Amino acid sequence: MRFSIPEVSGSVKIVVTVKLVPDTNAEKKIDPASKRLVRAGMETVLNPYDEYAIEGALKIKESLGGDTTVTIFSMAPAASKEVLRKALAMGADDAVFLTDAGLEGSDVWGTAFAMAQGLKKVGFDLVICGGLADDGSTGGVPGALAEYLGVPGFTNCRRVDVTGNTLKVQRETDSGYQVVTGAMPALVSVTMAIGEPRYASLKGIMGAKKKTIATLALADLGLDHAVGGDGAKTEVATIAAPPVREKARIVEAADGAAGAKVIFDLLKEKKLV
Amino acid sequence: MRNVIVFVEHKGGQTRKVTFELATEARALADALGGKAHAVVLGGGAGGLAERIKAYPLDLIHVSEDGDVDRFLIDPAIDYLERVAKSAGPSLILVPNTMYGRDVAGRIAARLNAGMAADVTQFGVEGGRVACTAPKLGGVAITTCLFKNTDYGVATVRPNAFSAQADGSGAEIVAIEKPAGRSYAMTIEDDVEEASGELGLEEAPAIVSGGRGLGGPEPFETVLKPLADALGGAVGASRAAADAGWVPYSLQIGQTGKTVSPQLYIACGISGAIQHKVGMRTAGTIIAINKDGASPIAEFSDLVVVGDLFQIVPELTKLVKESKSS
Repeated sequence: MRFSIPEVSGSVKIVVTVKLVPDTNAEKKIDPASKRLVRAGMETVLNPYDEYAIEGALKIKESLGGDTTVTIFSMAPAASKEVLRKALAMGADDAVFLTDAGLEGSDVWGTAFAMAQGLKKVGFDLVICGGLADDGSTGGVPGALAEYLGVPGFTNCRRVDVTGNTLKVQRETDSGYQVVTGAMPALVSVTMAIGEPRYASLKGIMGAKKKTIATLALADLGLDHAVGGDGAKTEVATIAAPPVREKARIVEAADGAAGAKVIFDLLKEKKLV
Repeated sequence: MRNVIVFVEHKGGQTRKVTFELATEARALADALGGKAHAVVLGGGAGGLAERIKAYPLDLIHVSEDGDVDRFLIDPAIDYLERVAKSAGPSLILVPNTMYGRDVAGRIAARLNAGMAADVTQFGVEGGRVACTAPKLGGVAITTCLFKNTDYGVATVRPNAFSAQADGSGAEIVAIEKPAGRSYAMTIEDDVEEASGELGLEEAPAIVSGGRGLGGPEPFETVLKPLADALGGAVGASRAAADAGWVPYSLQIGQTGKTVSPQLYIACGISGAIQHKVGMRTAGTIIAINKDGASPIAEFSDLVVVGDLFQIVPELTKLVKESKSS
């Protein structure tokens, strides 16, 4: 499957997928009655992992120069559209916002499936994703997207070099890293080692106000499978509060040996040694 | 879905405990569903590893030592896994919730148009449907989700959540035929081990973790590592320590790092910001060693020892070592 192969070297269309999540620094609570996350007073923010994806995209754009562009792509409820301005303020060129009431209740499968069709619609040479979502979803989305897009999926990259049409990445593994090569169009997901996300400059923030956020609806995608709650392959049966941990015992240690003894006694009691 | 297929993650035939945990759980699930328990082992060393996995209660172990699996990133493995899944019929595919496992899960779920459940710590079967329980939002909620249809499902499973029990039953080992007409696009040019032989953080049964209170990179090696080794565990870190460059990000536990659930978690010099809490609050026993007894970490620990970690940890290491040798 081919989308838009860059004909001119240095003209790469990069699309960054961004998830919008409840404020990551806020303490989250579940309302026992509705079994939903209490969102009152909670801001919606860019998934922090995806800020690294934006940073990675901007780095590639800077290294290539030319007509390389960075487009932000996000699927979220309509109300959170303006959160994307932050990504534009960091330096992305424009954004596409996929929003539709019919997408609500999508499970991981439906999310990846709908996003892939949206990305095909937008067109790309390179899709860049964050490594994980911050609100507890799977980390399986980049792989699923690559599969639905029919492009190579270089996951967990800490370094991405683009030369002409080829990609050379360093990707993290549980025990080290791999060097992997391939060609665009492709998808990469990045880790935090790609580089600390830049802050938006005042100029960037002002400029972002004028940038375009285009909107896509479900009908634009022409899906051949149902998505949203009806099409979901999984359904949440119960949400429960975690077992409550008893209040901690707090012990002042007179010295190292005394402190160690208190801990060791607990380890023995719990059969951990 | 009636059958259960375990995807075995390994490197040159070396695997981790989670493989045997999945093999054991696969049996229980397959019995409840009235199907068979399979495993898929691919790449160099697969044959030898299959002989070891045979001690666990599976029906069939599918093996290929095709060199393409190690030469090209993920695609050949997915082709083989798909082949096994299609021949087995509607199945639940279990993969470990690790960096590679999450990739495999996403790819095979899309390939089979299957539902996905992540970071599962408990399974059940209700009316022929598989129920997956997993902590969400950093352990704030425990959700149980059900697969809606009976075709294929994929679950990433948290290491250390299930027990591994060999029964020596001796599954049948079968070769998988190479999928025809495939070419692969992602070439692995180099594979570099940076932390060879060390236990993955997500799989370690015990974690000794350090934060700002460590004051620099050295104490991670000289103070925490000996205790982690004595406990048969691994060293972790807070975001503050990773941001300071004292340890690589791969050791970071928390919201923007790894989520872990060891039986024992010892937090040294970590104040316990939400960032950190959501990555470890589901651990079994949590012990904090801190200068300040009023730190937030006290709110989700079992025991807080207020004192100097540089004195306490080495003494504790001694006690643990003595208990092992006696």
